[in-house]
Amino acid sequence: MNKKIGVFVCHCGINIASNVDINELIKYSSNLNNVVISKDYKYMCSDNGANLIKDSIKKYKLNSVVIACCSPRMHENTFRGVVEDGGVNAFNLEIANVREQCSWAHDDKKRSTEKAKALVRGAVAKARLLESLNTSKISVNPNALVIGGGISGIQASLDLAEKGFKVYLVERKPSIGGRMAQLDKTFPTLDCSGCILTPKMMEVANNHNIDLITYSEIKNIDGNIGNYKVKIRKKPRYINLDKCTGCGDCVDACRLKDRISNEFDMGLGKRSAVYIPFPQAIPMKCTIDGKNCLMIKHGKCGKGPLCVEACEANAIDFSQKEEILEIEVGAIVVATGYDLLDPSKVYEYGYSQYKDVITSMEMERLISSSGPTSGEILCPSNNKIPKSITFILCVGSRDETSCTWCCRIGCMSALKQIYLIKEKFGNKIEINISYTDIRSFGKGYEEFYRKIRGENTNFFRGKPSDVRKTQDQLKMDIFDTTTNKLFEIKTDLVVLVPEIIPKTDSDDFSRILHISQSSDGFFLEAHPKLRPMDTFTAGIFLAGCCQGPKDIQDSVSQASGAAGRAANILSKKELEAEPQIAYVDVDTCSGCSMCISICEYNAIDLIEEKGKKQAKVTEALCKGCGACVGACPSGAMQQLGFKDKQMISMVEETV
Amino acid sequence: MSIIDLTSMGEPQKDIKNEINTRLKKLQGEISEFCYQCAKCTSGCEAHKLLELEPHKIVALLKRGLIDELVNSDVIWTCMSCFKCRERCPQKVAPVEILFALKNIAVASGKPIPGKYSAMLQSILSIGLIQDAQTVSNHNNQTIKRNDLDLPDLSKPVDGNKFQLVLSKLAIEKI
Repeated sequence: MNKKIGVFVCHCGINIASNVDINELIKYSSNLNNVVISKDYKYMCSDNGANLIKDSIKKYKLNSVVIACCSPRMHENTFRGVVEDGGVNAFNLEIANVREQCSWAHDDKKRSTEKAKALVRGAVAKARLLESLNTSKISVNPNALVIGGGISGIQASLDLAEKGFKVYLVERKPSIGGRMAQLDKTFPTLDCSGCILTPKMMEVANNHNIDLITYSEIKNIDGNIGNYKVKIRKKPRYINLDKCTGCGDCVDACRLKDRISNEFDMGLGKRSAVYIPFPQAIPMKCTIDGKNCLMIKHGKCGKGPLCVEACEANAIDFSQKEEILEIEVGAIVVATGYDLLDPSKVYEYGYSQYKDVITSMEMERLISSSGPTSGEILCPSNNKIPKSITFILCVGSRDETSCTWCCRIGCMSALKQIYLIKEKFGNKIEINISYTDIRSFGKGYEEFYRKIRGENTNFFRGKPSDVRKTQDQLKMDIFDTTTNKLFEIKTDLVVLVPEIIPKTDSDDFSRILHISQSSDGFFLEAHPKLRPMDTFTAGIFLAGCCQGPKDIQDSVSQASGAAGRAANILSKKELEAEPQIAYVDVDTCSGCSMCISICEYNAIDLIEEKGKKQAKVTEALCKGCGACVGACPSGAMQQLGFKDKQMISMVEETV
Repeated sequence: MSIIDLTSMGEPQKDIKNEINTRLKKLQGEISEFCYQCAKCTSGCEAHKLLELEPHKIVALLKRGLIDELVNSDVIWTCMSCFKCRERCPQKVAPVEILFALKNIAVASGKPIPGKYSAMLQSILSIGLIQDAQTVSNHNNQTIKRNDLDLPDLSKPVDGNKFQLVLSKLAIEKI
């Protein structure tokens, strides 16, 4: 077919025009072979720019379009729509990136104009060989998977279920609730955390659209947007969930009662080997901890397991084995949450040395009425009420030797705890707080900070170098930059506010999900401002702290947003498949299987046709990543829209 | 439970601090604790440029309860009472009122008052003014008296004795 190409050059305001001679580029490109028209406009992505392209297509009967503008990541889709509207197949479009790769990158206008010419020349060369491609349709599975049962996962599940989609909510621990279940009250409104969380947990339990899968982990994820196949590893609970009534008789009977460190209380309290993590757990069922239970570990428990004796419902089943569940979903919301930095890494604050140096999460459990001390604030070393408590903010945060980012909740959580402590003890207790900056940025936060300032709290703007022990107290020196003085502080209890870090297994998990991480290790959003809930993997969305530190309100907002983004996919019967996929030139393929081993999406199979082995691409699975094309030793594997001959002619013309 | 300033070995004097804050609350409605050290007061302080008064530092020391250090310092007497700090503080803290309170404590505890202050006080007691109208000279080296300018007479206390009595009573009450 005789190619009639139109070249359109965008000024991008002055982003391109200030560093590339537009007139010269227009003149140059209009003389290239097959180019019938060459035009420029201040903003090609505007309505007027689009009309200019569409009118030119009609007027000059164009069948290929080259646009010299910003990166294709920015506007390729916009312009695909424009040329399609104008009557040209969307894949007869080639973008020459003369902004990021030219005008922004160079200073010398003359030379960058020459480079722009080369880029346009290459794009025109490829456009001469472009072919129309047709998008095929793939069906969409309307079910959703939500990974993580903290407040983000709960909110995303409830939103999706309310929209009418079936949701699989997978939680690693025995109960949903996550970190929020461990908190006493929430800032800045001082809502009781449990009181606002448990109704939502009950909703999850009672919602027929939600299939709650607790004590389970994601093992593997295959497939693509609209059709993910998920394998879930269901850990043995050694309890028959249908029979267990959650009465807790077995918990009291357990031979190891009060002997196992309770992770829900951050190790401050003790539990049995069979346990219910907290009083409002959902599901309200017992779990036998296989790592500690004597029956599981040693095969015997005294003269016989006391829990079995105690359980009237006959729910205990030591023969349970790990199960693998397989489900299919159309979209996934990842809400796997965060971990806290182990403050013993900041060794100078003595977290692992001194019992009375605790973390803010441990303080939270001490304040909580359901905690190990029933809400009494006691020094762990001697169970006495402290007369003085000192908070140290930013432990490991904003620190080039540890974690460079801000945890976003440390300041406010410490201020909230100070409020709760003052509420219990009034001015009988001395509160010191060592800070670098107080970041109270949210709605109502600054007002809360001001309130705490007014309540006899000693704010020291400076960090102590270390925490030491005197005879019966902890001691530290803080240089306070507001008074320019060094203060010696003796205190009974030190609370460290540690950094929020990515889940320790997030490296492995990102590989299972095929999603990226940012340099800090949190899961990477597709765009920090405009696509904060999307990942680069279509159909997988992020909610809550797995994407970066967040407070509850931000987590809930993002979770609802992610659920909405997922619903955009689930509500469609069909999606357009990526047409720029791989295909096999059957005559050249030798059936060496190199491509099969390299394909991340299991999209290639080896088949035998007429006695000849050859690769076959499943179009619905291929994502068009191009890995197989690069791996193929014979050149039999080609990618539509990026064929060898198209790319080679583009390269030859450019350089 | 203790906080010690390791340079002066001073300890927070919480009672005096609370007294000052109670006084501030009456005068201004806000207490020193709200100060977040933006230093807007010092940026605009007239006494800072010449006499190195740093109102935000005064507030910081008060917040820490280091009253003795403040009361013993000459710098509290440099405030010109322009009230700009009170007018412009984003947290409605009034360093100028804090300085008045500190000066009062200094006087009450028998600390010496800078010389100029005693002269001014004496002048107020005798004529009701910090100083009487002075003879000044202009650019052309002409000496000018107030009486030459056709201005109304300066108002002065009618009954000198009564005036002194009222002032002394007020001073005792305040301090």
